[in-house]
Amino acid sequence: MAESVTSNIREPQPAPAKEARFSELAIAELEEIASHYPERKAACLPGLWIAQREYDGYLPPAAIQEVADRLGLSYSEVEGVATFYTMYNLRKRGRHHLEVCTCLTCAVKGAYEVVHKLEKELGVHVGGTTSDGEFTLSEAECLDFCGAATVMQVGDKYFTQLTPDNVKQVIDELRKSPDYTPAKLADSIVKTLLPGASETGGGSYSVEDLKNPAGPML
Amino acid sequence: MAIRNLLFEHREVAGIEEMDVYEKLGGYEGLRRAVTLERQAVIDDVKTSGLRGRGGAGFPTWIKWNGIPKNTDKPHYLICNADEGEPGTYKDRELMLKTPHLLVEGMAIAGYACLGTAGYIYIRGEYVEPAWQIRKAIDQAYKKGYLGKNIMGIEGFNYDLYVHMGAGSYECGEESALMSSLMGERGNPRLKAPHAPLPVHEGVWKSPTLVNNVETYCAAAWILKNGGAEYAKLGTERSKGTKIISVSGHIAKPANYEVEMGTPLLDLLKAAGGVTGGKLKAVIPGGSSVPIMTADKLDKINLDYESCAASGTMLGSGGFMVFNDTTDIVLLMKRTSEFYMHESCGKCTPCREGTRWLFKILDRITSGGGREGDIELLLDICSQIDGRSYCGLGDAAAWPIVGAIKAFREEFEYWIEHKRSPIGDHAVPPTPVVVNPLLTLTPA
Ligand SMILES: Cc1cc2nc3c(=O)[nH]c(=O)nc-3n(C[C@H](O)[C@H](O)[C@H](O)COP(=O)(O)O)c2cc1C
Ligand code: SF4
Ligand code: FES
Repeated sequence: MAESVTSNIREPQPAPAKEARFSELAIAELEEIASHYPERKAACLPGLWIAQREYDGYLPPAAIQEVADRLGLSYSEVEGVATFYTMYNLRKRGRHHLEVCTCLTCAVKGAYEVVHKLEKELGVHVGGTTSDGEFTLSEAECLDFCGAATVMQVGDKYFTQLTPDNVKQVIDELRKSPDYTPAKLADSIVKTLLPGASETGGGSYSVEDLKNPAGPML
Repeated sequence: MAIRNLLFEHREVAGIEEMDVYEKLGGYEGLRRAVTLERQAVIDDVKTSGLRGRGGAGFPTWIKWNGIPKNTDKPHYLICNADEGEPGTYKDRELMLKTPHLLVEGMAIAGYACLGTAGYIYIRGEYVEPAWQIRKAIDQAYKKGYLGKNIMGIEGFNYDLYVHMGAGSYECGEESALMSSLMGERGNPRLKAPHAPLPVHEGVWKSPTLVNNVETYCAAAWILKNGGAEYAKLGTERSKGTKIISVSGHIAKPANYEVEMGTPLLDLLKAAGGVTGGKLKAVIPGGSSVPIMTADKLDKINLDYESCAASGTMLGSGGFMVFNDTTDIVLLMKRTSEFYMHESCGKCTPCREGTRWLFKILDRITSGGGREGDIELLLDICSQIDGRSYCGLGDAAAWPIVGAIKAFREEFEYWIEHKRSPIGDHAVPPTPVVVNPLLTLTPA
């Protein structure tokens, strides 16, 4: 996981702008989730997931500020949380964020060869983003599907049993696919938190659905 | 045969993740039986079963359940630890993905027995697919009246179940760090007994809190359906029932295997098709945190808590990693120490600094800069971490290094003396792609 220490450190940015980007639906989602806990603060992690979706896959200072404002927390509290967890992106990632597991099992089963192949194929080093903004390449710690080594997470999907030979095919498919983006990952996570969301089959729902206990959302 | 599928009984059944199929195969009978019993009788049944926590520590489950106050002066919170992060382990993933209702049923039973107000399933952020199955199962269970208000028509049995997603942190699997994370904070652990109240008295939001692993709750569902005595028939004197072992590494058929406790380790190795790509060199039986075992010791180890402990290792979370003779143990330990360095939460000095030193020294050795005395230095640092860190992660970082030096000291010596791998150029794991620029700033 050598690169992550530096590549997820925020670039210098101006003080957070006072903008609010949460849609009406996002606000309804946050309120629903906050009602699951006795304290609003507990909705901090879910709130950051919503923000990561609303702010296009990463958390600029304005996103942190908005979560803080909506939950009644301080900027620094939320910033502290956002910087602790590796899945919150403090920098913008490529359209597809390739996270190759190089932990124990994957490492002995050839994960580094897969990483080398990707570096060559994409022309970037670990931690880098291709110039067309398509891919960011990272190493990940154990994704806990070791039996299927080598494992790579892209968005909300695991690609498994990767080798230097078959990984190019995955890349080619990803280039064509609109899915598996960081924002899509955040969206999928938010959906798992919402009671009744499975009734929509993972599809879209409205603010009314969220507020109506008899609707498709429980 | 060593394989005993209790929790995995229906894992191959098509559609078992759906309520109707699950119910047809006897699903929710455990909950049905539980609610006909007194709450204490449910806990006693778990006691009879001898079930011990499957998250790693093996603490008797019934003691935790029994520790939750019998009144509801405060709300009671039940947490399922589904933050599976231990390298080598992927059993909770399969349980949630294939039989999500088993977990929901287990948590509903615990909710009944422990007067639960609400339950939270804390799932690691990467596990989106398993989490989605859980979402579906919970939604279906609400519809059927297995969750919600007046569950199964029992006046006052109100219990809600929520999903909470993590965001990438191994440390959040540690139960007090998990509680911090659930409450919306950084994943730092909290002060523990005897310096602070037990979680069953004061956990999240200063209320009684029960934390159990996914497999533990699933086993509880099986136990309530079939009876604790039935479960206790399996296993050894002190390790009852079955354990799911996730097999990975140089092995023909990597998969999750549910084995009876006390199964000889070599039987499992055989069932999984044996080692591939060379001769068997070593096995890590319980996840990256436990000491590695050399091939010649394996015939004495059975897969239960006591036998593993007697052999100087642990059953842990059941992350069973197999290595053949192309594996360089020093490189492997370097990668292990890198994991702990990365995952250390930074709260306490022995672990925050110690894990970094361990990595730096192992990195130096495997870059050809090993010095005489490095082995003693590693052991010294490990002894400064082990037992002196704030939570179990520090200990877990030290044990594998100490274990590896004990079992494969000559490989460390070889690296230091010859500046190259005793295995040769094709040793695995290979040296990594880039060196962390932050680490090279300060020479060791
Ligand atoms: C560093 C560390 C990481 C842990 N990770 C996990 C984990 O991923 N899953 C888990 O169930 N338990 C994990 N545990 C163990 C938990 O702290 C706790 O003992 C367990 O969840 C209790 O459940 P059980 O009694 O059902 O085993 C971890 C412990 C430590 C010290
Ligand atoms: S041992 Fe200390 S630094 Fe390491 S994870 Fe635990 S509290 Fe954090
Ligand atoms: S080591 Fe790669 S998934 Fe566990």
